[in-house]
Amino acid sequence: MNKDISADVVVIGAGVCGSLLATRLARTGRSVLLLESGPKIRRSDLVRRYRESAFKSDFMSPYPYSPQAPQPRYTPTPNDYLDQAGPHPFKAQYIRIFGGTTWHWAAQLWRNVPNDFRTQSLYGVGRDWPISYDDLEDYYYQAEVIAGVGGEPDNGSPRKQPFPMERVPASWLQQRVTERLAPEFRVIDDATGRNSRSYDGRPACCGNNNCMPICPIDAQYHGGIAAQQAEDSGVEVITEAVVYQLEHDRDGRITAANYYDWDKNRHRVTGRTFVLAANAIETPRLLLMSASEQFPEGLANRHDMVGRHLCDHPAIGVTFDADEPLWPGRGPVSPCSIGQFRDGEFRSEHAPFRIDISNGSKVASVTKELLKEGYFGRELEEQVRFRSARRLSIKNALEQLPDPENRVTLSDKRDDMGLPTPRLHWSVGAYEQKGTEQVRQYYDRIAEKLGATNVQHSKPGAFSNRQHITGTLSMGHDPATSVTDAWGRAHGHDNLFMVGTGVMPTVGTCNVTLTAMALALRTADRIVEETRHD
Amino acid sequence: MTDAGRIVLSLGMLALSLGAGVARADDQQALIQRGEYLAIAGDCAACHTEEGRPAFSGGHAISSPLGVIYSTNITPSDSAGIGSYSLEQFDQALRHGVRADGRQLYPAMPYTAYARMRDEDIAALYAYFMHGVAPVDDAPEKTDLPFPFNLRFSMAAWNGLFLDQTPFTPDPDKSEQFNRGAYLVEGLTHCSTCHTPRNMLMAEKQDQALKGASLGTWYAPDITANPNTGIGQWSQQQLIEYLTTGHADNGATAGGPMLEAIDKSFSRMTPEDIKAIATYLLPDSPDTSAPTPAPGLRPIRDNDTPAALEKIGPGERVYRDSCATCHGMQGEGLNGLPALKGHPVLKKPTADNVSMAILEGVWPHQGQAMIGFDEELSDTEIAEVTNYVMHAFGRSDVHTDAARVAELRQGGATSPLLMLARVGMVGAGVALVILIAWSIWRRRRG
Repeated sequence: MNKDISADVVVIGAGVCGSLLATRLARTGRSVLLLESGPKIRRSDLVRRYRESAFKSDFMSPYPYSPQAPQPRYTPTPNDYLDQAGPHPFKAQYIRIFGGTTWHWAAQLWRNVPNDFRTQSLYGVGRDWPISYDDLEDYYYQAEVIAGVGGEPDNGSPRKQPFPMERVPASWLQQRVTERLAPEFRVIDDATGRNSRSYDGRPACCGNNNCMPICPIDAQYHGGIAAQQAEDSGVEVITEAVVYQLEHDRDGRITAANYYDWDKNRHRVTGRTFVLAANAIETPRLLLMSASEQFPEGLANRHDMVGRHLCDHPAIGVTFDADEPLWPGRGPVSPCSIGQFRDGEFRSEHAPFRIDISNGSKVASVTKELLKEGYFGRELEEQVRFRSARRLSIKNALEQLPDPENRVTLSDKRDDMGLPTPRLHWSVGAYEQKGTEQVRQYYDRIAEKLGATNVQHSKPGAFSNRQHITGTLSMGHDPATSVTDAWGRAHGHDNLFMVGTGVMPTVGTCNVTLTAMALALRTADRIVEETRHD
Repeated sequence: MTDAGRIVLSLGMLALSLGAGVARADDQQALIQRGEYLAIAGDCAACHTEEGRPAFSGGHAISSPLGVIYSTNITPSDSAGIGSYSLEQFDQALRHGVRADGRQLYPAMPYTAYARMRDEDIAALYAYFMHGVAPVDDAPEKTDLPFPFNLRFSMAAWNGLFLDQTPFTPDPDKSEQFNRGAYLVEGLTHCSTCHTPRNMLMAEKQDQALKGASLGTWYAPDITANPNTGIGQWSQQQLIEYLTTGHADNGATAGGPMLEAIDKSFSRMTPEDIKAIATYLLPDSPDTSAPTPAPGLRPIRDNDTPAALEKIGPGERVYRDSCATCHGMQGEGLNGLPALKGHPVLKKPTADNVSMAILEGVWPHQGQAMIGFDEELSDTEIAEVTNYVMHAFGRSDVHTDAARVAELRQGGATSPLLMLARVGMVGAGVALVILIAWSIWRRRRG
């Protein structure tokens, strides 16, 4: 074991939330230590790995797998890091490197709508949050300024300040789809952290259409930028540090974190305040692995709440060929969506949802399809042009109700470090199925309005993951039904905080990162306030 | 004269004098507006307006080989600016390098170029700075150069040697447009300040006017009409496009201080003046640019097999990972992002501008920026990719190395001038003693 390392604040997980919190605390003069299980990799190396990968449709292909900090993989075959125990597989995808999972995303930075915070009071379903939209409004804006967010202002989430970024110009696809679906469907600009002009030392989007799996020029905000800012702000960073256990004193206060370096040497770090920011599956895993004599069920788990209420947006998709060329693939991959079904009285009956219209290039998938159909030569070339110009794909973000039976636990399997891997139990209930039926009808209506042929729905009864993992560390006033309080502090452990999407009690109908960033900034301010006189 | 007649007469006089008053105000307004335009053309704001501070209130740090020079407040503030300057004092500063208090300016202020300007333009600039600019009573940081450059009177001797006070004289054999261009290039737009190499005493070498010079980091290329070393292969139209937008269809793209000059000054000048500049710099070039060939389909040439990957050298490696997504695998550019193949910057006698663009990026006020790689790439990697780009896309033999990149990263080589000047003062002192001794000896003989 190495000599003790100590800091005022120890943050575990260098994703976007942990990094934002670490930066804010370091700027107040506190010593901050940021531990990351994965390696630090340069953007250019990630670009190279993707360019040289045979699996262009696999968004994980730029991100190297390491047995010391394993991540779920599905291509070419699933690596079974996640032990699937439920009726529906929960195919989580996350990246364990410096910067975290938002290295690959479309920089969707949406606010919840105000009613998302009290669905139980208003509609008799789901859970109320311990805070309201108004409590978060200012933090939403702070996060938007950090990331440079632009979008349609009239999107159901009221704002006191205009977006800090002007919209990225609409692609041809967006213009045509907006026009042809109106007025029945209102297609609006997504709220995205994508530069339309130089901002914060990063250039404007130049339409590489490569947001996922990696923006090659950093026009898009991501966790790698946040993590680098943390390091530049004086945060001490240790990568390849796999935290496997937290220690506590008799009062339940956390005293130390133990980690393995990649050669499996043990290290111990001490601190006054500990913040877990290791994603909504890995953070519960760490809490459960830290079980002790005093806390045999794991930390923050006196009421068996850790890892429960696992939610995502269970998604279905549709693809079809429109009756005119739309040319997907020019501009950002995910520029626009339909938001009119996010809220309403119907929420007491079935799940609300957003409908996302993809602008990702279809050349690769269409070519694969045509080769399978036996096309070659000149005809193949013509057909690739024809179909990839007209192919439209659509998916949804549908709110799943938090169900305590959907949960993360520890499996019997061990990873290369000898640590138990996560086990997931997930099912999609009647409320979501009913909402999904609605979605499917709208898909058909949209296809009809665009003169579609070759309509292909995703397999009925199957749901894909959107990687908007929430609920497992739910905030709440009542320790019997939640893991953390309204500030993200663990019930029963005064100096242990959690940030990230796991603390969100409900998943809403939009991508979850902005809400998690806002909550992380709010938690950071709370820690500053509470430790002012330390 | 009847009373009525007297009233009519005096009313008439009143109307006349009022009319004159209105005309004077109009003239004055026109003069101020003209001055504002000249201030843009002269790019006064480049140095005298610091981002985040009020216009023309100074405080912009100009790093010179001798140390940091801070620009002054040139708003009409009596306390902090030039509010108390008479037209003559203003002229003394602009064209002679002498402030109202009699002290000398450093030639960071391009008064050697402004010396070419006409009286009426000086008057217009004066009107603008006195009446068109809001006074700011905030004094910027003072310049504090090391000895002996802190002795401003030494500049008087420098001026005696290097300040040519002849105003611009048009060439009667040339067109009006050519002469207008000459007037702008030699005077107001002070192109020579960067593009003309300087001698040991930091004065422009007149025999090498506009033949290209290093600014320590960025290289200001040869802009003479020489077809080999300069811009003689450009059409006037290309130069006009370049000065107006920062890029031209011969592939040229502006970066560094030139981009700043285009953003702040050239892009805001009248088409007539830009045309005049092009006429002067490229008197014999064709008026229109060559038609660009229609884009055709290109066969796919890339091969991602491991065997092909292994042949890739270190410079190409960096190029593929950090540059190719925007500039194309073959340097062909992408959707309006600059092609590197045949880019004029690759034909310069130095690779510094390629390395500088990679280090700092290129950040125009409008439009697509290029990200800088100073944090991401090492000196060796930047040198390797610079050389790769120079050779593969520019067919150039010009070479750089990690040591030069390290120097550029630090802001350029430190100047030997300081040492020279100090040694030189001793030398001058010795010379003076000899001179006095000699004259005494002569007098005795006489």
